[in-house]
Amino acid sequence: MSSLLNPAWALLAAVVLGVLALVGAGVHGMVIARSEGRSARSGALSPVFELARLLRQRRRRTVAADVLLWRVGCGGLVVVALLKTAVIPFGSWILADIPVGIVWFNAMDVLLWAVLWLLGWGANSAYGLIGGYRFLSQAVSYELPLMFALVTPAVAAHSLQVSEVVAAQNGLWFVVWMPVAFLIFCASVIAFSSWSPFGTAAGSDIAGGILSEISGVDRLLVLAGRYALLTTGAAFAVAMFLGGGAGPLLPDWLWTLLKTLLLLFVFVALRHRLPAIRPDRLAEVAWIIVLPLALLQTLFVAIVVVVGR
Amino acid sequence: MGLRDSIAQGALRRVHVLLVETPGWAEVRMAVEGELRLRGWKAATSPADADILVVCGAPGHELASVCARVWSQMPGPRSRVTVDVTRDVSTALDSAADELGDDDAQRRDARARPTSMPQGLDEHSSVDHAGMDHPGMPGMDHSGMDHSDMPGMDHSGMATHDHTTMSGPSGIPLASGAPDRDGLEMDVLHVPLGPVLPHWHAGLVVDCVLHGDVIGQAEAKVLPAAGVPVGLPPDGSAGGEQRRVVVRNCDQAARVLALAGWPSAATRAQRIRDAALVGAALADLGAQLESLVRTVGRSRLLRWTLRGIPAAIGAVGSGEPVTVRERMLDLLREAAQSAGGASERHAASDVASQQELLRALPALIEGTDVATARLIIAAASLDTASLAISGAMRHE
Repeated sequence: MSSLLNPAWALLAAVVLGVLALVGAGVHGMVIARSEGRSARSGALSPVFELARLLRQRRRRTVAADVLLWRVGCGGLVVVALLKTAVIPFGSWILADIPVGIVWFNAMDVLLWAVLWLLGWGANSAYGLIGGYRFLSQAVSYELPLMFALVTPAVAAHSLQVSEVVAAQNGLWFVVWMPVAFLIFCASVIAFSSWSPFGTAAGSDIAGGILSEISGVDRLLVLAGRYALLTTGAAFAVAMFLGGGAGPLLPDWLWTLLKTLLLLFVFVALRHRLPAIRPDRLAEVAWIIVLPLALLQTLFVAIVVVVGR
Repeated sequence: MGLRDSIAQGALRRVHVLLVETPGWAEVRMAVEGELRLRGWKAATSPADADILVVCGAPGHELASVCARVWSQMPGPRSRVTVDVTRDVSTALDSAADELGDDDAQRRDARARPTSMPQGLDEHSSVDHAGMDHPGMPGMDHSGMDHSDMPGMDHSGMATHDHTTMSGPSGIPLASGAPDRDGLEMDVLHVPLGPVLPHWHAGLVVDCVLHGDVIGQAEAKVLPAAGVPVGLPPDGSAGGEQRRVVVRNCDQAARVLALAGWPSAATRAQRIRDAALVGAALADLGAQLESLVRTVGRSRLLRWTLRGIPAAIGAVGSGEPVTVRERMLDLLREAAQSAGGASERHAASDVASQQELLRALPALIEGTDVATARLIIAAASLDTASLAISGAMRHE
C-alpha cells in the first residue's frame, strides 16, 4: 500500500469525501421524499437546495454566547472527518499509513465528545445544553464498546496499522469471524455522528437540541459534518471488516467506493425506519450486554489468533 | 447576479417554515403541514432554522408577543404570514416565498432590524433582562438564567456554578442552585416549554424549573386566542363524526411518534390524517390505519425505548395505568374503528375535565427528564382550544 503524503492528494481526498457525503445526503432526501408521498427523484436534489438555502441565510448570535467555543463546535465536525480521512485507505492508496492508524481514528472520534458538547453548550441555550447532555450520556455508552470493536481487528492483524489490517483480511474478511465487532462499530459510527436512531442530541423534542440556535453557514458545517462523519465511518468499516478494496473483476479503489457507499446508504436509511433510542435506555444495554459481548468477541479472536499460530 | 439568483432559486425549493398555532386553529395548521409535504418544504424546529413564520389563526396578546419575539430571533432572509382559513394556505405560502426571494425587500428588512434588541440577540446589549419572562422559545435567550420572579427558588446566596462568567454577563442573573430529585446540588434553570415548539399542543406553556435535563417543578397554562377559534368544520357528509375522530387521533398519534423519534411512522399517521381532512374514502383509511397499527405495535425497539412512561388519561380516566405507547396505539386503533364505521359517541371534551387535566399535568412530569415529559404531554388528550375559549371568557 502506498502512502501519498502530498498536499494535492489530501485535497483530492477532501473532495472525494465531500462528494460521497453529498451522495449520502441525496439518498436521505430520496428516502424522505418517498415517505412523504413525492417521487424519490424529487428528493435527490434536496441537499443541494438546502446548501443554497444555508448559504443565503445569515448567522446568528445569542445573548452571552461563548462565541469562540461555539464556533469551534460548529466547525469541528468537518475538521474531525477530514482528519479521519488521513488513515482511510482508498483502494491501495492511503494518505498517511502511520503505524498507529487505528488509534488515530479512535482519537479523532473521542474529539467529538468535546466538539458536540461545545456545540450544545456554546449557545448559552437551555435546549442546546440538553442536547449536549444527551450526547455525552450517549457517548459514555458507546465509547468503550467502540474501542473494543476497533481492538479486535488489530488483534487479528497483529498491528494497529490500517494497511496491515486490510492485508490480513486476504482470503477471509474480518466481518465473517468478528460480526459482533462489526455491528458494534457500525452502531457507534451512527452514534458519534449523532444520527438517528442515536440522534436524540439533535431531537425535535428539544427544538433541534445542539442545532437549535445555529443558522446559516454554521448550520451547514454541522449538517455536512454529520454526513462526512457517517461517510468516513463507513469507509473505515470497509477497511477494518469488509476486506478494503478486495473483490473480483473491478479495480480495488472501485470496490472500496462501492462498499463504502453501500454501508453509507444503510446508515442513512436506518434513520427513517427506526424509533430513536433514548440515551438513558441505551446506557443499561450498552454496559450490561454490549460491552461484555464486545469483550467476548475480542477474547474469541485472541484465542483463535494464539491457537492458530 | 447570475450566481446569487440561482442560489436564491435553489433556496426557495427547500423553505423551512416555523408554525405557530393559535388554540382552535388546528385545522389550518394541519393544512399547512400537508402543503409543506406536497412542496417538499420542511417544518422548522426552532426560529434559527426558519425562513417563514406562519401564524395560524388570531393569537391573543401574550401569544402575539411570543410571535414577535420568535420573529426577531429568525436569522433572515425571513418572511411572515398569518393564515386564518384553510383555503388561503397555498396562496399565503406562495406570497411568503416571493417575499423571501426578493433580495431588495430582504435587504431593507435587514437594515431595519435593531442592532440592539431588548429580546437580546445582540450580545452587546446591556438591557436589564429581569422581568422579561414572556414565554417564548426557551433557550435562545436569557430565560434559563432568570430566577428573579420565582418565589421560593431564590438560592442566590448558595454556591453557584454559573454557565458563563462570575460577573453575570449582559445583565443576566447567574444560575442558582438547588437540590435535584436525587438530593444533589444542581444549577437550576427556569425554562418555559412552549408555546412555539415542534409537536406541541397549541398555546400550551409549561414553565419548568430544570436541573440539568430533569424537571424539578412545573406549572402549566394555556395562552388564549384573540378571536373565537374555529374548530374542525361541522361536516355535513355521512361519517362526519368518524372523520373527526380519525383526524384528531392521527394528529395526536403522529405527535407521539415524532417525539419518539420515528419519522416514517409519524409521516404515515400525518398522511392518513390529511387524507381524512380532504375527504378520502374512510374505508381505505381504515385499512391504512390497521397496517400502521401493526407496524407500530410490532416494533420491539419502540416498546423498549418507551417502556414504563405513563400516559395522562385525565378526562377519560379508567384507573388502569397505561403507558404512552399503549395510549398512542389506542388512539390509532380507535381511529381505525371509526374509519371502519364504528361510531362510539364521544362525550364532547368538557372544559372542566380539560382544566383538571391541565392542573394534573405538572405533577405527572415533575421528576422526569425533558424527553419523557414531552412524550407524556403529547400523549395527554389536552384540548387547548376549549381551554383557550374558557380562558378568554373568564378574562372578559
